Order: sequence, then C-alpha cells, then structure tokens
Amino acid sequence: MKDQAFIRNFSIIAHIDHGKSTLADRLLEQCKAVTEREMSSQLLDNMDLEKERGITIKARAVRMEYEAEDGQTYELNLIDTPGHVDFNYEVSRSLAACEGAVLVVDSTQGIEAQTLANTYLALDNDLEILPVINKIDLPAADPQRVKQEVEDIIGLPAMDAPEISAKVGINIEAVLKDIVENVPAPDGDPAAPLKALIFDSQYDPYVGVIVYMRLIDGSIRPGQRVRMMATGAEFQVLECGYLRAIGMEPTRELCAGEVGYFTASIKEVKDTRVGDTVTDAETPTAQALPGYRPAQPMVYCGIYTEDGSKYPDLRDALEKLQLNDASLSFEPESSVALGFGFRCGFLGMLHMEIIQERLEREFNLDLVTTLPSVIYQITKTDGTELSVDNPHDYPDPAEILEAKEPYVKASIITPPEFVGNIMPMCQERRGIYLDMQYLDTNLVELHYEMPLGEIIYDFFDALKARTKGYASLDYTICDYRPSDLIKVDLLLNGDAVDALSFIAHREKAYGRARRICEKLKENIPRQLFEVPIQAAIGGKVIARETVKAMRKDVLAKCYGGDITRKKKLLEKQKEGKKKMRSLGSVQLPTEAFMAVLKLDEE
Amino acid sequence: MKNKLGLYVHIPFCAAKCAYCDFYSLAGAQDRWEEYTAALCDRIRIWSARCAGYEVDTVYFGGGTPSVLGADRLTAILRTIRENYVLLDDAEITCEANPDSMTDGFLTGIREAGVNRLSMGIQSADDGELRQLGRIHTFAQAQDAFARARAAGFANLSVDLMYALPGQTMDGLRHSIRALLALQPEHLSCYGLTVEPDTPLGRSHPVLPEDDTQADMYLMLCEELRAAGYEHYEISNFARPSFRSRHNSRYWRQEDYLGFGPGAHSDFGGKRLEAPRSLDRWLSGELLEEDTDIDRAAEYLMLALRTSDGVDSERYQTVFRRDFAPVEQALRPLITAGYVQNRGRRWSLTESGFLLSNPILVSVLEAVEPEN
Repeated sequence: MKDQAFIRNFSIIAHIDHGKSTLADRLLEQCKAVTEREMSSQLLDNMDLEKERGITIKARAVRMEYEAEDGQTYELNLIDTPGHVDFNYEVSRSLAACEGAVLVVDSTQGIEAQTLANTYLALDNDLEILPVINKIDLPAADPQRVKQEVEDIIGLPAMDAPEISAKVGINIEAVLKDIVENVPAPDGDPAAPLKALIFDSQYDPYVGVIVYMRLIDGSIRPGQRVRMMATGAEFQVLECGYLRAIGMEPTRELCAGEVGYFTASIKEVKDTRVGDTVTDAETPTAQALPGYRPAQPMVYCGIYTEDGSKYPDLRDALEKLQLNDASLSFEPESSVALGFGFRCGFLGMLHMEIIQERLEREFNLDLVTTLPSVIYQITKTDGTELSVDNPHDYPDPAEILEAKEPYVKASIITPPEFVGNIMPMCQERRGIYLDMQYLDTNLVELHYEMPLGEIIYDFFDALKARTKGYASLDYTICDYRPSDLIKVDLLLNGDAVDALSFIAHREKAYGRARRICEKLKENIPRQLFEVPIQAAIGGKVIARETVKAMRKDVLAKCYGGDITRKKKLLEKQKEGKKKMRSLGSVQLPTEAFMAVLKLDEE
Repeated sequence: MKNKLGLYVHIPFCAAKCAYCDFYSLAGAQDRWEEYTAALCDRIRIWSARCAGYEVDTVYFGGGTPSVLGADRLTAILRTIRENYVLLDDAEITCEANPDSMTDGFLTGIREAGVNRLSMGIQSADDGELRQLGRIHTFAQAQDAFARARAAGFANLSVDLMYALPGQTMDGLRHSIRALLALQPEHLSCYGLTVEPDTPLGRSHPVLPEDDTQADMYLMLCEELRAAGYEHYEISNFARPSFRSRHNSRYWRQEDYLGFGPGAHSDFGGKRLEAPRSLDRWLSGELLEEDTDIDRAAEYLMLALRTSDGVDSERYQTVFRRDFAPVEQALRPLITAGYVQNRGRRWSLTESGFLLSNPILVSVLEAVEPEN
C-alpha cells in the first residue's frame, strides 16, 4: 500500500490559451511518463476538436512518478479539467478530487474572467493554489506585473511563483518541486469503507464504461461489489488500475489517496455520473461525498439532417455520443419545415457547438439546427406547471398565469476603456447591474444578472466584437424569474413555419421578428408568386416583408441545336428544385434556412 | 402525300467574332471556304439517298455568318440541294446575313439562286451598343443593306434585335425598336443578351440591367411590336401575318429536319443527331452523336409552350397517348397570376408567362414525370 505522504493530487487551471495543456505535456516529459517518441503534443486532450480549439473538453487524469530532491519518489496524479463555463460542474468535481491546483497565468496577458472563476472554484474546494507565470520566453512577457496582479486581484502570494515557459521548457522542475512541497498529501482513512469520487467516465466498446475516480477512503480491488450512491447502480469490479499517459495499467488494488480507474461491464455512462460516490456494496460508507448534481441541460435546440433520409444515421450518431456524454439529452421531434429530427439538450452553447461539430465531422452528417432556446417554466391558469424548451409546446397566452425564465449571474472582466461599450450592451439584453470592481488599474470586473436566453442568443459574439476580444465572460445559473414572455410565429405565404417560431421577452420580440423577416427576405429565392413573410404574435402581425415575384427566367433561343441543351437545363432546374424544402407553396433552399437560423452570427 | 423536310446548312465562318458569341465559328479562314463548300455538297448528296420519301419545303443557311461565304458558294450548295432533293417551288429559303457582307452582288446572286428570305443581324440602332457587342457594322450600314435587299427583290426580311444590353435604358431600347420598325421588316427576332462566361464580353464582367428591368424591357418590346401589327408567335419571334419563319417553326412542332455542318443537329426518322462541333472533326467524317434520351411527349410540352399556339390537349392525348390532366393541374393555377391562358383545347403562356417559361416548364415536366 502506497503511503499517502508520497502522493500528490493536483489540477492545472488556466484561461483558454494560457498554456495549460502545454505545461501538462512538459510535466509528463520531465517525469519520464512518456518517451519523446510518444510525445504527440498535448497528450491530455485527445479529441481532435479540442486540439483545434485549444480547449479541454473531457477531463482525464494521468499518474507520473517524480523523484524529488529528498530522494523520495512521489506519485503525482494530474487531473485535467475542462476549461469552459458550460462544464463548470465537471470542473468543480475534478477539482474536488485534488488537494492542490497549479494556476497558470500568461505573463503577456494577466488574469482573465475564466482564470478568476476557476480560481474561485478551486478555493471553494479548499485547494492549495500554486501560481505559475507562463510564457516568459515571449518579448511581451511582464512577469512582475502579472505577479502583482495575482497578489492584488486573487490575494495569493505570488512573488516567488515559478516563472516558466512551458512551450520551450524553461523552469519546469520548479513547478514539480512546488507541487511536492506545497500541495498537501491526501489524508483519507485506508481502513474505512470505500469512498471514491467519480470525476469522469468514458465508454469503451470492449470493456464498457471506464470510471475515473479519486479514492478518499478505503480501497478497491477486482471482484469487489460496488455501488454508485446517487444512481443506486451496483456492479462487480472487473479491473482497476492507474491511468498512464499512454493507456491504462491494471493493478491489484487502489487505495485511499490514489487516483485511478475501474471497469465493471457497465453499459452506459449515465450509471456513473460525475460527482457520484463509489462505495462498497456490502459495507457502504455512511455518507456520500457532497456536491453531486445531476446533469441539467440548460440550452436546447432542434437538430435535423439536411437530407431527410439520414435521420436514422443522426439517431445512431447521437446515441454513440451519449455513451460518453451523460449531459447530452435528446428526443425525437418532427417539424413540418425540417422533417424528422431531435430536440437536444446541452449544458451550454459551447457544449452545443461541440456536439454539432462532432456530428458533422465524425459522422459526416450535414445538419440543420434551429435557434437555441432555454427552458421556460410556465404556470397555467388551471394550476398545472410545465417546462417548455421548444416554442412549439408554448401554451396559448390566455392559458398562462405566469411564465419564468432562467437568469444567470454574469461576471465580465475587461480593461476599463471598454466598460462604456459593455454596459449599454448588457442593458439592451435586460441585464441587471449589480456592481463594478476595479481588480487593479487595468482590469475591471462587472457583475450583472441576466436572462440566460439573452446570453445564448448573441451575447458572446457581441461582447467580443465590442471589446476587441479583450473582455471575458463567466456565468453561473442563479434562478428563475417571472418574465413577460411571448411566442412569435413566422409565416410564409400565410403558413406558419414551425422551425422558425421563437419565445422571447416582449420588448425583444419585435426587433428579433423584424430581423428574421429581413433575413428571410434576403434568402428566399424569388418564386413565381409574391411571398409575404410575416411575424405574428397570436393573430397579430408585428413584422412584414415581401419577396417579390420572380419576373424573368427564360431561355431566349431554342432552335434545332438548342433543344438538347434546353432539356438538360430544365432537367438541372428540376433536380435543383427537388433539393429545396417546400413550406406550403414556398420553395426554399436549405441554405436559406440555415442563414436564418444562424441569425446571431452576424 | 410525301413527308416534309427542312434542311439546315451551317456556315461556321465569320468576318469577325462578336464579343458575346460562344458558338463554334472561325473568323477569317478564307482558305477553308472552298474545301468546306465541297465537303458540304458531298454530305448533302450522301444524305439524299435516305430522303427519297421527303419533300424539302424549307432551307436555312445559318451560322456563323453565311453571307461571308459569298453568293457563288451558296448558289453551288443550293444547286446541289435542288439536284438531289425534291425542293418545292414555294419552299422558304432563308439566309442569315450581316449588313457588312451584304454587297449588291451578293444580294442579287443569292436572290437568283432562289433564296427568298433574309435574316439580318442588325441587333441595335445604337452604334455605341453595336461596338460594345463587337459588331463590325454601323446602324446606317444596316439601314442601307436593308434597303438594298428590298431593292434586290427580297419580300421577306427578318431582322434581329438584342435587348438587355449593358447600360441600356428603356428609352434607348425603345429608340432601337422604333428605328428597326421603321425599316418595316416582315419578321423580327428579339433576344435578351445572354452573357457567356468564356467570351470577351463575359470576361469584361458587364453590368446588365436588373432582371426586373429586363422583364420590363421585354414587355415593352412586345407592346411596341404588337402595336406595329406584329404577331408574337414564339418567345423571341414576331411576324407580320403569314410571315412566321416556317423553318424555325418546325423545331417547335417537332417536324423533321436535317442539319449539315459542324455542330448541326438533325431530327430525322425519329432520331436526334448531332455532328461534331469542330470543323476538322466534321471534315474527317466523324460519326454523328445520337441523343437517345428522347421523351417526345415532354419535348412537345417544352417546345409548344414556347409558341403562342401553345399545347393542344387533344393532340397530346392522341399523339403521345398520355393523360393531359397532370399538365392541366400544373398550368391551371397559373391562370389567375396571368402567366397562362386557356382557350378550349389550347393552353399557352402569356407574355409574362413566356418570361418565366423555365420555372413553369419545370413544374409542368415535374407533373408529367413518371413516379419513381
């Protein structure tokens, strides 16, 4: 049994692009956890998508051995954390599995909203935080200023923080030394009943779900019967072991303080929820670990395939993704305009984009997605309550007693010169100003309460655009509040197009309706008839545009030699028409639809 | 009664290439005129063996610019036709001609050879527009050529007009129309300019009038010509009563025609054939390509709806043994919009319907398409 005094469990936290993954790679190299040949850059992120976006989506862990100056060999477990607000809960569970966190700050950039948010999460979990100043090889590096920022803003002593360059490998040893000296050793009870925290799980087609966990108390070994305390599921452990940089290493037993995995022929990740506690089925621990929360989708959208016949492929693809992603939910829905598809629930916008991109890339599907929506809570006049995530299900206004929408607490960190741009933008989006703090002379933190529906609509892009990319945003869901919500329908030639209906706050509905009408007008090809485009609340039209009738599409010459050519031309037009989507009497190409549904990308 | 046949003779030569033209034609190439004329006569002779049961009632010299070949060669070709086919006395014999090559000698020569109709490429009454199109004549030259053609005894003259030219205005077009009408031609063909990408004009990325303006131009044109007593008998063709082009009408009526020359098409004995497009390949005697994908019923709809006569529901049902109901279903909803008119068995497109003939034909063809 490993003496816990020689175990260190830690995470690396950072803002996107501040060098978290690169530092992880250097630590692995330094501890010889991988040979150089195995060292494909950024080992911890093993999804292509992550590499491209430079963000870590799924947490992983890796064990390495470090021979310290005192001659002792330490077992270091690095638990990687997802780096985005959508995965806040997952981050908090990964952090809960650690005793310490290395806080990487870019010496050319300084502290950003996410740095702060992750640091607070780490502090909430009582982690020892070790600041590290990265990218000192760059000419713009200003380590002294950044250290001062860390002290002033976060309140951590930072003057002795290692100044490193993960990219070129400067001073990596100092980070390892810092970890051994300053991250507390685990202090669980090896003799107590098993108590382990699940911080991630992954489906493997051969062995079933692989559960990643941190043992707090007790031990786990093959043959043992274990129970997931929140889901109640029980399994017999088949294999347990350590997580290595390259693959897994089975072992006879994992003990208190250690990080590792087990398999037990588990078929679905939804039985092994992140944050759940694993215990012994015969002699369970008295109390589960705190902080478990079931996955709660916050953002919904309809996903359809461009080619309706690919519907079964879409279903298969979603099922496959769900094997590894318990927070993805989906159920079939159908739309007059788009055919058969699925209503999908996501943790947030990034989660949604990632899933859409994986569907397109890994499963070769061409998708049409509807505008995202949040979940609204409705109390009807007859007293019944319902949650609505699809405009289609929104009740008749006469039946609604009260409608509520989700609000978030948003924190925006920005250089002070952009405050004047940001405040009206938040105002427009029904933000409630809470306060503003100068973090130091160069950085301001603004706090707002805002409807989530406004944030998912176009807030991210607008914020980046109006602050030259300098501002950063973090938010957490706070509560549901009564709101003056209305459902807007879009009509083409008098027929409602279900996929374009949306729910919005009354004040916002008109502007959005007008913009959608304009966008439709731009994108609907002219037809043989004039096509009226209307946005309506109930029976009342609030916006209107008209696609004028087409006037001219004719082949002027058709003599002997032109007949074959003319026939081919008509044939081609006929094929093109087959690819159009028919909405009542109106034909429109899928691209037109997508242009409208991507309204927020202007 | 013998079957009727039309002969199309293609002359792939021009004095100069027009800026908008993407047809196969050789500018200059005088050295090949003689060789080509001889080869044409050979082919005309060879094919006559299969035409014993036919009477030729139309001959059409098209191009290219047939007039560049000169009266003597055209006369020789016509003589070959007379010697090898039954050419009816009242046959319509047309020759396309450009004002710049219509010398008096040419006009008298071909008139004597039997050509009784000229189709003149005048295109515009505005010299600036003519230059822009790469035409090598002025409008004054065209007027002069027209007068001389009349004087040479041509009682059936057609002129070509182009509209929707880059920079053209409604007033500019109206001026051209009236100037052409002042010549009092028996027939007019009016084409909207189509910019082909791979032409000097196409490469200069000209800005054409907007689609809506083009449509207005077309309707104005129709109005002007109707007021002047012309019958609008096909999308782009207008004629004084009894002066429709008999040769071109056979294309729209699916009647037999034989084409001679590179790229020329034939529809003969139930087969549609196309000759190789390049002169050398044609001269080498390369075989004709056959279009095997012929749906005569669909073609009937496609071609007849180009004309003011339109489709005849009886004819559709008796000749092609098809149900007319789907066609009617596609056309009837277009009546209220003013695109289609129906008189008894006849269904035809209106002038605004002509302008939209492509999408209308697509819906008609969709309607008659056999279910997969």
